[in-house]
Amino acid sequence: MNAAWRTRAGFLVACALHAAVCVAFAASTPAPPAPKSSSSKTAAPATVSDEAAFAPCVACHGAQGEGLAAAHVPRLAGQAAEYLQKQLHNYADGTRDSPIMTNFAKALSETQRAKFAARYASMSAPFLAEAAPVNAVMLARGHQLAYQGDETKRVQACVGCHGPDGIGVPHAAPYLAGQSAEYLAGALKAFQQGTRKNDAGQLMRSVAQRLDDADIAAVTGYFAGLSSSTHQSATPW
Amino acid sequence: MKQRLKEVDVVVIGVGMVGSIIAKELAAAGYKVVGLERGQTRFTVPEFQSPAIHDELRFDVRKALMQDNTREPVSFRNQASQVALPVRRWESFLPGTGLGGSMVHWNGQTYRFQANDFQLASRTRERYGANFLDPELTVQDWGVTYDDLEPHYDRFEYLLGTSGKAGNIKGKIQPGGDPHESPRSREYPTPPQKELFQGALFRKAASGLGYHPFPQPSSNLSQPYTNPEGLRLNACVFCGFCERHACEHFAKSVPQTVILPVLLANSNFELRTGCQVQRINLDSTKKHATGVTYIDAVGREFEQPASLVITSAFALNNIRMLLLSGIGAPYDPATGQGVVGRNYAYQTVSTVASFFDDDIIINPFMASGASGTVINDLAGDNFDHSGLGFIGGGYIGAVNSNGRPIQYHPTPPGTPTWGKGWKQAVLKHYNHSVMFTLHGSSVAQKQNFCDLDPTYRDAWGQPLLRITFDFPQNDIKMAAHATAKAVEIGKAMGAKQVVGNPRKGPYTVTQYQSTHNTGGTVMGDNPKTSVVNRYLQSWDVPNVFVIGASNYPQNASWNPTGTLGALTYWVIDALKEKYLKNPGRLVSA
Amino acid sequence: MARVTRRSFVTTVGAATVVPAAALLSATAQAVAATAKSPLTTEPDRITYLFFNAEQAFFIEAACERLIPADESGPGALGAGVPNYIDKQLGGAWGAGERLHRSGPWQAGTPTQGYQLPFTPAELFHASLRAINRDLAAHGTPFHDMVGEAQDAYLKSLESGAHDLDGVPSAIFFDVLLKMTVEGFFSDPVYGGNRNMVAWRMIGFPGAYADYFEAVDKHGVKFEREPMSLAEDAHGHIHVRRDIPANL
Repeated sequence: MNAAWRTRAGFLVACALHAAVCVAFAASTPAPPAPKSSSSKTAAPATVSDEAAFAPCVACHGAQGEGLAAAHVPRLAGQAAEYLQKQLHNYADGTRDSPIMTNFAKALSETQRAKFAARYASMSAPFLAEAAPVNAVMLARGHQLAYQGDETKRVQACVGCHGPDGIGVPHAAPYLAGQSAEYLAGALKAFQQGTRKNDAGQLMRSVAQRLDDADIAAVTGYFAGLSSSTHQSATPW
Repeated sequence: MKQRLKEVDVVVIGVGMVGSIIAKELAAAGYKVVGLERGQTRFTVPEFQSPAIHDELRFDVRKALMQDNTREPVSFRNQASQVALPVRRWESFLPGTGLGGSMVHWNGQTYRFQANDFQLASRTRERYGANFLDPELTVQDWGVTYDDLEPHYDRFEYLLGTSGKAGNIKGKIQPGGDPHESPRSREYPTPPQKELFQGALFRKAASGLGYHPFPQPSSNLSQPYTNPEGLRLNACVFCGFCERHACEHFAKSVPQTVILPVLLANSNFELRTGCQVQRINLDSTKKHATGVTYIDAVGREFEQPASLVITSAFALNNIRMLLLSGIGAPYDPATGQGVVGRNYAYQTVSTVASFFDDDIIINPFMASGASGTVINDLAGDNFDHSGLGFIGGGYIGAVNSNGRPIQYHPTPPGTPTWGKGWKQAVLKHYNHSVMFTLHGSSVAQKQNFCDLDPTYRDAWGQPLLRITFDFPQNDIKMAAHATAKAVEIGKAMGAKQVVGNPRKGPYTVTQYQSTHNTGGTVMGDNPKTSVVNRYLQSWDVPNVFVIGASNYPQNASWNPTGTLGALTYWVIDALKEKYLKNPGRLVSA
Repeated sequence: MARVTRRSFVTTVGAATVVPAAALLSATAQAVAATAKSPLTTEPDRITYLFFNAEQAFFIEAACERLIPADESGPGALGAGVPNYIDKQLGGAWGAGERLHRSGPWQAGTPTQGYQLPFTPAELFHASLRAINRDLAAHGTPFHDMVGEAQDAYLKSLESGAHDLDGVPSAIFFDVLLKMTVEGFFSDPVYGGNRNMVAWRMIGFPGAYADYFEAVDKHGVKFEREPMSLAEDAHGHIHVRRDIPANL
């Protein structure tokens, strides 16, 4: 199935599946308000079992968390649990905007958010096909932004927070290496436009606002190209 | 041999915070300005790179960003009866070098002094009587008032984007701020940084004891900020590598982030780095400066003629520049005559260590340089000194800025200095201790001064600056008094063991205390007791201005940078509105 | 017997630059290393000494391990590679007097005036170690062959300043040795000590990658994360990709 998703046809199938799940999910579950308390017992929408609630995640992010690059769906496998859980919170509370994810996130109990985040964090999925090759100028620009930053734009290097080669730093920043370029570009655009505002200290909004389209294409392409070999060769300290 | 360059309007010695701001203003006003910086050019990108900038050994222990002491140290002795020897390794204070100056490695603590500080001598006599001050002390008024400087403090804070909470806006006390502060015209540009756990514990305990805790004003910003120069800064991420390091996030207010891009874009300004200024040149009358002589990085000597010379180096180097140039009479402690080098003062820093049980988890490595919670109840003249036998005080706060382990591994008294006992104590206490600072004032006294060393020379063959300094009894008493109060706060926090370390003499250059070296070219309204007038203009050579913490007649309870920024804008106004329109003495001697 | 082995080694290799640190691990340290749980276990590496000769290295390894010994909490200075750190520092710029003002005249000062000896750190170690080894040879037992208590007693005698080590007051040598031991224990592993970041793990210091904006106001919650070194790079090097031009 994963292989099929890489094709255009597979992508369409997946979208259709996604839509079907969304409809089915919406029909069976009147989305309750997001629980405000961290106590799941009192506020959880008890009508949906964990497996039923997890099904829509799988539909797009894949059974192994490999994501659906071309459809801007991020890879989640191995992403830090607390980061994933926070995103679910923020989809629900509106600080991160997504027509699809908001409803799903709102429907999940606190416990489910934590569980699903942990589940994806523990996954180890194969990487999808390498991102489309970028030209040498883009590669160099991507590398520059990733590792050094740009003084004239007052942008700092990505890896300072996102970790060596963008492999992520728990409790600080998600991994970028091997992530879908389309997804990353979408995220930067959302920060740029302010539809995503769940970044620590507004740091990503500040950065994104100083990048132009060419920068975004270069840096997201760069990180997408750092894939499985990057993660696997990371020193297990 | 010496090459004479084309004359310019202004030459600025030292392109740190003061030099950058003043050069920017004068270049924008149309003057040709040359900035001479002895160190190297450096910017956030690519010089201040993470993670390389997070290297405790290189930056903290080996002091990579500091003045090159192999070529240019200072010499030091406690008493004039001793032989001064070179400070062969920096420890007690850490002057920076390079574009952006010492501010690049500062912590960002951005305080104002209080109205009382600027009139310390007269107000002390007023409140406590003519005989209250020890006659050995040479405490004096500044020649400017807080009200003179308030608009300039404001301007400087808005340049930096300082994060804080006002305590007094135009006389109205603001909840959550410092009720002791002198009135400010408006709120800080950005709200305070997040409170650390140490700060929260401190705040609760201090409030319970009737004190007035407030968030330390920080120029590591709480949120993004665009300053009046159009430069945008980011929010600080509490990385814990601030002081002695540079910031990779454009989040610490330093010349590189708040002003240099604007300055360097102005073609009226020329930056020359690697240039060691040897002296300010005077004409035959010795009353007029003709420019400066410097040696560049490859050893060539140049004369740079200029109509106006501004020395904006680190305090110690300002003093030395005047002494090397023969501007102003050197101070002689034996006779009390002379002014240059007089009233050298410092900062009287004491500490309190509080050791908690294992259930109090501090995570000391999470901090910005200036995140912290402090009280001013025991600072300055905010408490009655009657019968205490000293003036001054200090702010007390939980302001520890890092948990970098080579230098931060607190252990209680009685712990062995090595071996298994030491190791076990380090492991036990690293994450369960809170350090307070008592940041104490420093009065000037007759026997503390700077002059040129008769023996030791720098790499260019010029005499070193010689510092003669020990803590005045006034400050030892102050430290004992305030540290005892700080210990009470530690106990109220519930610490298992609280250890006060009040500063005691003799002063030593072997232990880091503070880089707040002040005085030596002090300002005032009397040429017999000051080097520069209230506009920081040399009494002796009116086309030389000296700007630095070297202008402070004595040091107050707070970090000096905010006041120096205010003085810088104060001088800029005087230059633009008065001096440059009609060069000459701004105050008649 | 151990002494014979070492003597043989020294005889064979002479002043060669390689001494196997593993052979020098004390029995205690070996026991701890064997029982301690990963990741606090570090297998002692062979240290390629560039500065110390074999005799000096024997002293340094043994002395460092007394200053910061292995115990139930984890490795000590030897397991953390501290002798390697000291060796590389002394063999490099620091040893040669980096950031040390070295112009005379040289005069004794007050304690408040700080270090005033003409020795660079490299010279200071050479002089001190020469004197120490000569002193101990005259008394029959090299430092590394003493039992722990005797080693501690000897270190204390150095610390108290009782010896003149060929011009270096022993208290000064001891102070520098202790400082460098602590540096090697806690500095970034790129400098050759703090192997596997063992010292950082023991105290919970997260290292060079540091962004705590989200964590800083979670008061009292222990921050748990694997420490990260300056050298930590998925490609095994810092910021340089040879396949990508440095400039656009």
